Amino acid sequence: MSQITAIETEGLTKRFGDFTAVADLDLRVDTGTVVSLLGPNGAGKTTTVRMLATLLRPDAGSARVAGYDVVHEATQVRALIALTGQFAALDKNLTARENLVLMARLRGRGRREAAAVADRLIERFAIEEFRNRLVKKLSGGERRRVDLAAGLIDTPHVLVLDEPTTGLDPRSRQVVWSTIRSLVDDGVTLLLTTQYLEEADALADRVVLIDRGREVAAGTPAQLKTQVGAQRVDVIAADATEFARVSDLLRDRFDISESAEQRTVSVAAPDEAEDLARVAAVVAEAGIGVDEVALRRPTLDDAFLALTGHIAHDDLQTDDYEPTEVAA
Amino acid sequence: MSAIAASARAPVPGSGLAAPARFVRDTALLTVRSLRAIPRVPERLLDVTIQPIVFILLFLYVFGSAIHVPGVSYKDYLFPGIIGQSLAFGIIGAGVATSHDMTEGVIDRFRSMPISRLSIISAQVMGQFCEQVLGLTIVVVFGLILGWNPDLTAPHAIELVGLMALGMFAFTWMGVLLGMLVRSPDAMQGVGFIVIFPLAFLAGTFVPIAGMDAVPRAIAQWDPISALVGTVRGLTEGVHSSGSWQLVHPELAMALWCLLIIAVCVPLALRRFNRTLAG
Repeated sequence: MSQITAIETEGLTKRFGDFTAVADLDLRVDTGTVVSLLGPNGAGKTTTVRMLATLLRPDAGSARVAGYDVVHEATQVRALIALTGQFAALDKNLTARENLVLMARLRGRGRREAAAVADRLIERFAIEEFRNRLVKKLSGGERRRVDLAAGLIDTPHVLVLDEPTTGLDPRSRQVVWSTIRSLVDDGVTLLLTTQYLEEADALADRVVLIDRGREVAAGTPAQLKTQVGAQRVDVIAADATEFARVSDLLRDRFDISESAEQRTVSVAAPDEAEDLARVAAVVAEAGIGVDEVALRRPTLDDAFLALTGHIAHDDLQTDDYEPTEVAA
Repeated sequence: MSAIAASARAPVPGSGLAAPARFVRDTALLTVRSLRAIPRVPERLLDVTIQPIVFILLFLYVFGSAIHVPGVSYKDYLFPGIIGQSLAFGIIGAGVATSHDMTEGVIDRFRSMPISRLSIISAQVMGQFCEQVLGLTIVVVFGLILGWNPDLTAPHAIELVGLMALGMFAFTWMGVLLGMLVRSPDAMQGVGFIVIFPLAFLAGTFVPIAGMDAVPRAIAQWDPISALVGTVRGLTEGVHSSGSWQLVHPELAMALWCLLIIAVCVPLALRRFNRTLAG
């Protein structure tokens, strides 16, 4: 039996009136891999995953999920894909557990079996503490966990996570990430959309950068980061004299670049925090006056600037809520 | 359109149920889901109970003293009117709830799941229907407490319950359709206030149609809500109006209106829902 391709799109296109949300997108997710669709708000990420989940009909091109066409074989697609949206798709007026039981029942489980499935998910996703609380009273992070669990009643052939950590505080983000990592360890095929480069970096095998509905770049996180520029430690000197001193001092020990105008010496920091500590120690020992010593990671903005030549635009809010009704 | 060559396919997990059985099961599960919200969001039910109660109190104790209907006490004249009006206001209630519910994220999850899609809308209708029944029951009990004394024989009671159920079914579908068309609860309230509210007042609800000016009288004589009010009043009080065919035969007229609404609204609502899905 040949390998099943989890997601495959060809020339996928979606327009809303004059606005082209997704343009001629070719996307491929192999079974057992994690692919991240990375882009700013309005890049077409949500539109793409909604087409894959049979919630929107493409205007042109085609898409297959586990070998089934999303338009002509939507029923089969729905049985094989699970979508977790950026706005938790749960019934607010039911408790966390009631939601999970309902989803299990709708997936064909009997009463007792559905309860057992729900309890298993509650344990796996650390939901015990708030299992009997109404979803509308849960925090953002708690909701995402229940939402993730609800997508995993049946192990889907492919799980689509649409911006799973947008709007979460750093601690909740870590919890969601570790949950996602455990799914990846179990071999779940994942398509993950995100606005955060570090999220794609932390979770994905392959990243597809999209902007204005088009693919801008694709590759492993390492390949993308080489294109974007690596992380560095910036040392900002207190004045021009101190800048000259720090520049001389660091040039001998590290791989640096500098900007006299901004009194900044940038040190390549492949080891991140360890490099930061080393640079800070050297600077402190020499007693040089500095305004700031900080670790800089390439941001999505850097990636955009490097790969598209323009700044990621945040003004289009079309990913927030798509008009789903467009004459078929 | 399928440019991608047929590739290897994953086996599809089946539910082992035939389509009609799935439809029934999914509708039942989703209806229970919406009913569970009632005790948790009781204000939703207030919409269908507070408004008629305010009308009852206003007309019974404020305007009622100035209204004289020959041959029947105003209390007995008023309550059938309020019940007919509540039935018609079910359109607004179902519309507001639907325009709200359909924008909830959970509907998207249901749509992306391997369930009977028709069940999503039939559950919406069932849930709204149950809310209307509950609301109307509260109004009737309130009326009985205030001293409404309907004069019902057993066959009339059965006929009344049957027609009311038919009416609620028709109006719920109409409300669900409108709710999907307008897409915002505020817009639905607007439609309700501009169209249904005046029609509900013109229907001989609070004052006899015969005494109205020529224009409102002509409208009232063919207002579908007049048939509702006429039906409730005819069956509970034996009072019949005159002036148009439907006022003389309100039960038959009401049944025909309801069937017409169902014949128009059900296919339109289903079409609308499918289209929303296909996007």
